[in-house]
Amino acid sequence: MKTTRISLTVLSLFPALLAAQSVQDFEKRITEFTLANGLHFVVFERHEAPVVSFHSYVNAGSVDDPSGETGIAHMFEHMAFKGTETIGTKNYGLERQAMDEVEHIYDRYDAERNKGLAADPKKLEDLNQQLKAAMDKANTYVVPNAYPQLIEENGGVGLNAGTSEDSTDYFYNFPKNRLELWFLLESQRFYDPVFREFYKERDVVREERRMRVESSPQGMLAEALLATAFAAHPYRNMPGGWASDIENFRLPEAIEFYKKYYVPSNITIGIAGDVDPKECRKLADKYFSILPAGPTPYGPRTVEPGQKGEKRVQVESPAQPFMAIAYKRPYQNDHDDPVFDVLGEILAGERTGLLYTELVRDKKISLGAFAEPSFPGGKYPNLFLFFLVPNRGHSVEENEQACYQIIEHLKTDKVTEETLNRIKAKMRASVIRRLDSNSGMAQALTSYYVNYGDWRKLFTSIDDINKVTADDVQRVANQYLIPEGRTVAYTVSPAARRGKTAEGENQ
Amino acid sequence: MRLRCFALVLITGLLSAQTEVRRAVVLPSYKDLKFAPLPPLQVPTPTELTLANGMRVLLLEDHELPLVSGAALIRAGNLFDPADKRGLAGLTGEILRSGGTKDKTGDQLDEALENVAASVESDIGETSGTLSFSCLKENTDQVLGIFRDLLTSPEFRQDKVDLAKTQMASEISRRNDDAGGVAEREFVNTVYGRNTPYGWQTEYADIENIQRDDLVNFYKRYYFPANIMLEIYGDFSAAQMKNKLEQLFGSWTYTQPPVFAFPKVRETPAPGVFLATKSDVTQTFFHVGHLGGELRDKDYPALEVAAEILGGGFSSRLFRNVRTAHGWAYNIGAGWGAQYDHPGIFQISGSTQSVHTVDTLKAVRDELDKIRSSEVTDQELQTAKDTVLNSFVFHFDQPSKTLNRLLVYQYYGYPKDFIFQYQKAIAAVTKADILRVAQEYFRPQDLTYVAVGNPAEFGTPLTALGMNVQPIDLTIPEPKKENASLNRRP
Repeated sequence: MKTTRISLTVLSLFPALLAAQSVQDFEKRITEFTLANGLHFVVFERHEAPVVSFHSYVNAGSVDDPSGETGIAHMFEHMAFKGTETIGTKNYGLERQAMDEVEHIYDRYDAERNKGLAADPKKLEDLNQQLKAAMDKANTYVVPNAYPQLIEENGGVGLNAGTSEDSTDYFYNFPKNRLELWFLLESQRFYDPVFREFYKERDVVREERRMRVESSPQGMLAEALLATAFAAHPYRNMPGGWASDIENFRLPEAIEFYKKYYVPSNITIGIAGDVDPKECRKLADKYFSILPAGPTPYGPRTVEPGQKGEKRVQVESPAQPFMAIAYKRPYQNDHDDPVFDVLGEILAGERTGLLYTELVRDKKISLGAFAEPSFPGGKYPNLFLFFLVPNRGHSVEENEQACYQIIEHLKTDKVTEETLNRIKAKMRASVIRRLDSNSGMAQALTSYYVNYGDWRKLFTSIDDINKVTADDVQRVANQYLIPEGRTVAYTVSPAARRGKTAEGENQ
Repeated sequence: MRLRCFALVLITGLLSAQTEVRRAVVLPSYKDLKFAPLPPLQVPTPTELTLANGMRVLLLEDHELPLVSGAALIRAGNLFDPADKRGLAGLTGEILRSGGTKDKTGDQLDEALENVAASVESDIGETSGTLSFSCLKENTDQVLGIFRDLLTSPEFRQDKVDLAKTQMASEISRRNDDAGGVAEREFVNTVYGRNTPYGWQTEYADIENIQRDDLVNFYKRYYFPANIMLEIYGDFSAAQMKNKLEQLFGSWTYTQPPVFAFPKVRETPAPGVFLATKSDVTQTFFHVGHLGGELRDKDYPALEVAAEILGGGFSSRLFRNVRTAHGWAYNIGAGWGAQYDHPGIFQISGSTQSVHTVDTLKAVRDELDKIRSSEVTDQELQTAKDTVLNSFVFHFDQPSKTLNRLLVYQYYGYPKDFIFQYQKAIAAVTKADILRVAQEYFRPQDLTYVAVGNPAEFGTPLTALGMNVQPIDLTIPEPKKENASLNRRP
């Protein structure tokens, strides 16, 4: 019933009948089912080529990291490539013993270290040596990277995973004749993951942070922006976590996280490509029904308190200057969510967005100027983000003021019908273009199902966008793009800061 | 064994308890799975034709979605930049689009195209220029008209020339901000040679030298029908499209003498360690390598397999050694990097904590020595070949990939069935082949090492690698006659 209504709405929206029909055809090829343990599947049949894309969407991300363990969701994501009791080991029984011995020694090390000033340095050093030896021993039972190797040598491509604030995603593509192998490997990775090489992988994860955050001026700015904009909500932490938390992860902490959040009712799987949904159902029962049901976890209880005034933060960097301006906005299920999407397009859509036409093209003060309607995630109240890169010879201050002028215009003048229609046409077309990618569809179907309660939202979001009026845009700009809810983060060169201090002292 | 396990479970708690409870289930093994053969590859056959004006065309229908897209491939490239106007090709490509046509400014085109959710974009890279479009089926005529106008009569309006020059200068001013980008650029430039078209970079002075006339002349020299190949893909009828293209381009009969071959790569090795200092990073970004080869070389397939085993994926030696066993790097890999028409670059690259810089570079060299001194294992060879051959179907997962491949093969003069020759050759590679090509083509004495990082935190200095270490000067040469106030930072 619902499907029919939706299809009709979609039909009425598309400029050409053909376009509507093709979307309708696609909708008919999407089916879904839920296993008894709560695990949900969305299957998109597309027989263009004998290949299949898989996407596992776990509804837990870095916002669910416990205090003092920021980055643990990401750490588990890495462990999900380490294999199982049967894949990646030379002798699981002996390996298990050796791994337990590592934990045992590590417990004693922690116990001594926790004495603080009273800790015996000699004892610590001794335990440290024992720990290293125990890890080396455990590693002798490991067949390194056996799990990803199995995927690669069976023709898997695009193998990767990602941890964001809101979710953890695992994905790759197989030739269609490896369908059952995917069911086997994916179910076992979530059923009996073995956290082998945990402490070496902890180093790798620490390197990832050095690469993405510490050695990247943009990474450092993003980290400062989030830590400033959010006083309490875990959006204040980057998904990779803080360095000192990473360096002290313990294996049981990652297990705890896995046990709490990787329950079937918290995982949604998207399959797109040359498959028979009935066969998928059969294989899902065969392989995934062994996952024990568990209580669906709840997200962080902390709610970000209201912001009472602008916050500003500087980040010292020898890089050329840039700036982020962020405004507090409500979460993705707010009735104004589509208005923010339209606002994002008005500001940052390709070559006609206001930030480009005014700051880059006409005033020539920016090398680039961008907007992101929802940052860093959408499940909780988040930020409407501007990112400004000044041209040579122009300052962040000048860019900032010019950006505020654009915002003020949006508050006083309504956007034209031509602009609104253009944005709606583009958003409609993007739904059609998205259908061309199996992997894109596998991802989108899971994400829309989890975040909006129905994968059909992928198509019906066009309805919501279509309802947005110029009045809505003006109202939302006036309500949310306000100094009280604003956080500004920008870089300053170390030399400029020293210059300023010296001047101050002279006065 | 079982009992012992259980005793430990009690000690370590949660971790093993959970494993123990679940033990009751016997999991099926991947070893028991049998895979049916894939159906034979469906390889679409594009329609090939040459328009009356000499423009070659490839058309491929695909009616799955109501979309049409296409691209013109122009034999041009920044390898043709004059030595005092480096960046000319790039600017020409950009302003060909932004500068608009005789009738419409670029800004008017922006709105007209986006009003119907379409795009036309232009670019000139190292060895080719492209003008591409994408639209909904119902707007094909309108968008093809704009595409034709931009290809045949771009206006290169002065205000867009000024804008693009300003932007390009700003990009130069920011080119040292991203350490990973610096490492890659300095490595490529060093290996190809900084005073050659493959290895030089645009400076402020070049931009000042480039004027609108230069763009117009560059365009006129390379953008003529006999020098262009066109591909169109999507929801249309090939017969009708053929007529449409004759109508659109029939009157464009402009000709020029045939375009020269691209300059040859200067094959002089640049061995040694080169260090660029950046104080604001906690990792060292590195590239190690030397000139490689072309895709048409007879040993290319064996070299692909060798590079795959050395540093291709999760199961490669470098990944296993540097990342998994030592935890020194998140990012580490190797590639043979062959090009279609000139030697590419063989390289090993990654980034590592500053204090492990020398350890990691030594490990890289050890792995290179190892693959040159003894045969790889049967298992390694099998894994590398399976990885390539079992994923072969993904070269054909979208009809457009076949179309693009044929276009590129034609452009660089490769046989139509090159990809199948490659598939056959990979299947035939032996352990002896890999040892032979590793010894012949991986040349430790020619290696260029480029490291970008903070040497104050290296612990062990780079000289421990036993080679001379030369600094890389990242200073950006200031323009001669620039308004000085522009350079002052706020």
